[in-house]
Amino acid sequence: MKKALLLILSIVLMAGMFSSAALAQDSVSVMAVWGGQELDAFMKMVEPFEKATGIEVQYEGTRDLPTLVTTRLEAGNPPDIVALTGVGMMKQLAEEGDLVNLSNVLDMDRMNKEYSQTWIDLGTYNEDLYGMYISADVKSLVWYNPKEFAAKGYEVPETWDELKALQEEMIANGDTPWSIGLESGAASGWPGTDWIEDIMLRTTDPEVYDQWVNHEIPWTDARVKRAFEIFGEIAKDPEYTYGAPTAVLATNFGDAPNALFTDPPQAMMHRQASFITSFIRDNNPGLVAGEDYDFFPFPEIDEEYGTPVLGAASMFGMMNDTSAARAFMRYVSTAGAQSIFVSELGKLGVNKNINPNVYPDDLTRQMAAMLREAPTFRFDGSDSMPGAVGSGAFWQGILDYVSGQDLDGVLEYIESISQDTYNQ
Amino acid sequence: MFKKMNFTKIIINVFIIAFMFIWILPTIGLLVTSFRPASEVSSTGWWTVLNSPLKFTQFTIENYQQVLNQGGMAYAFRNSFIIAIFGTALPVLVAAFAAFGLAKLQFRGRAVVYTIIVGLLVVPLQLTFIPVLKIYNALNLSGTFVGVWLAHTGYGLPFAVFMLHNFFSSLPDDLFEAAYIDGASIWTSFYKLALPLSVPAIASLVIFQFLWVWNDLLVALIYLGGFQEVAPLTVKLSSLVGSYGQNWHLLTSAAFISMVVPLIIFFALQRYFVRGILAGSVKG
Repeated sequence: MKKALLLILSIVLMAGMFSSAALAQDSVSVMAVWGGQELDAFMKMVEPFEKATGIEVQYEGTRDLPTLVTTRLEAGNPPDIVALTGVGMMKQLAEEGDLVNLSNVLDMDRMNKEYSQTWIDLGTYNEDLYGMYISADVKSLVWYNPKEFAAKGYEVPETWDELKALQEEMIANGDTPWSIGLESGAASGWPGTDWIEDIMLRTTDPEVYDQWVNHEIPWTDARVKRAFEIFGEIAKDPEYTYGAPTAVLATNFGDAPNALFTDPPQAMMHRQASFITSFIRDNNPGLVAGEDYDFFPFPEIDEEYGTPVLGAASMFGMMNDTSAARAFMRYVSTAGAQSIFVSELGKLGVNKNINPNVYPDDLTRQMAAMLREAPTFRFDGSDSMPGAVGSGAFWQGILDYVSGQDLDGVLEYIESISQDTYNQ
Repeated sequence: MFKKMNFTKIIINVFIIAFMFIWILPTIGLLVTSFRPASEVSSTGWWTVLNSPLKFTQFTIENYQQVLNQGGMAYAFRNSFIIAIFGTALPVLVAAFAAFGLAKLQFRGRAVVYTIIVGLLVVPLQLTFIPVLKIYNALNLSGTFVGVWLAHTGYGLPFAVFMLHNFFSSLPDDLFEAAYIDGASIWTSFYKLALPLSVPAIASLVIFQFLWVWNDLLVALIYLGGFQEVAPLTVKLSSLVGSYGQNWHLLTSAAFISMVVPLIIFFALQRYFVRGILAGSVKG
């Protein structure tokens, strides 16, 4: 019997030795939230790199990136490269000294030539570059069905007054202007934060927007309150938004644009970021970009502030200074690498040398132009705030407000959480 | 009297069937959804197929094809088996030794040892990630199967010891005394008496532990990482979904694919399972 036990133990040990992952080779580990097509596009992007250098790229994907990165950091084996989820995360990691200063890794002369100052600034903390951007999404977009617009004689609005007139015209015709969906599992509420951010950018200075994101003005500020009120006028009123407020709270953000393509359409317009096209295509096969669905920029509200662009972007940070990780960062900073990534996904490039021909359709080219020509660009505010506010109290506040709670109470609640969080 | 009995029986049966139905309803919904195209999943609920259940054109196996055809599925299945088989065998083996010792051997402080082990049941495993991972890094165990087996053994032991201890305690002491008089060593009475008698308890423990290890995502993600060479099925399937939650309709079919193995285990061990839960509660 003891022999049998020994046998079992030795089998266990042997199996263990064979199974140890072969990490010894020259390799670089990358951690990101991407899955599905995003992961395929990433692998396609690094394929030429692997072939040319012989360095193996080991991808680790998880939807719960911040937790995993924190755990690995504490334990002492962080991934070589991490796809940072936002400026907030980048600043936090850089402050704790967990990110490698990229100014010493990348050729900064080339970076300054190929990247606009906006993207360099957004990746910089304390005058050192920590985040390198590879693609962007534009958020200030209103989606509509051009065939319906043409059939009913609706015209694309450029100002808030034109939008208001259009809304009244739609209501008079028996149409519902907007479709909004705030449900997104544990992240429910975030589509509303994009509305508030877009409205903020159009009703105040970009500097005030930055102050708001950095909590230098309180949530109870009149300008923040006004943004919520403008959003509430639309999202809480069943005349303006399909099924408001119940359907707004219960509809998944990915399903919300479907209301534009039912027969007859349940709603006429939908404000959402550029990535929503993949949901529109998957949920409504056969629709053609530019013919069946199209976008216009979220109209200006106060003339003096124009139409700034709100966006989000993907960026890499470097956590271990190895030669393979350096080579990887240099490779993905090139227009060639990013062209592969953005063309696969319909995302927008940030490197100036990317040829517009790599984009899959005209719609994407128009978005890229909008991003390039934007007088002002601002990063998604909730992504830049500390987690407890940007992906906690702000989301909750949106849901509470839409479900009918008093606005002052909602703003005071977010403010109280902010005071606890930012002062740490 | 007879009629009344019958009446209560009917009531009980109706209740049981109703509860079973409520219990299984979400699973049926999941199954139906896994055969529907993405565009319909996003626009109508699964129950709409009940309007015309025989219209087979509304169903598709595309979701299953997409999940199975992506690269590395064979890898993921293999990894899941490697992790689950040893992650089940090790803790059950160790727990059987420990529980037998704690239940049938006389030594000082065994009540204290048993209390400490059972007390570990309330320690949340998230608490252990960072310190254990630090030790693993020092020993080069992170990213290896041995590391994740040891982790699952550690996390599974308190419950396993608790369950087997209760079962061994219910075996009559006379039996072991008789064996001792006949000249059996402790090892023989464990191997020849206790183990064969506790097959039902061990079988249900194996089911519990196997299900837990097979379905585990977090422990594997922390100690193994998401690399293709070592990632189990759960990690692989979670990467089907995009960062904004795209492709979630694929998760329905993925859930059924990963459910197949536990179902086989459960049905294979089912007759032990029922006896195991009853184990020690009644004599008969």
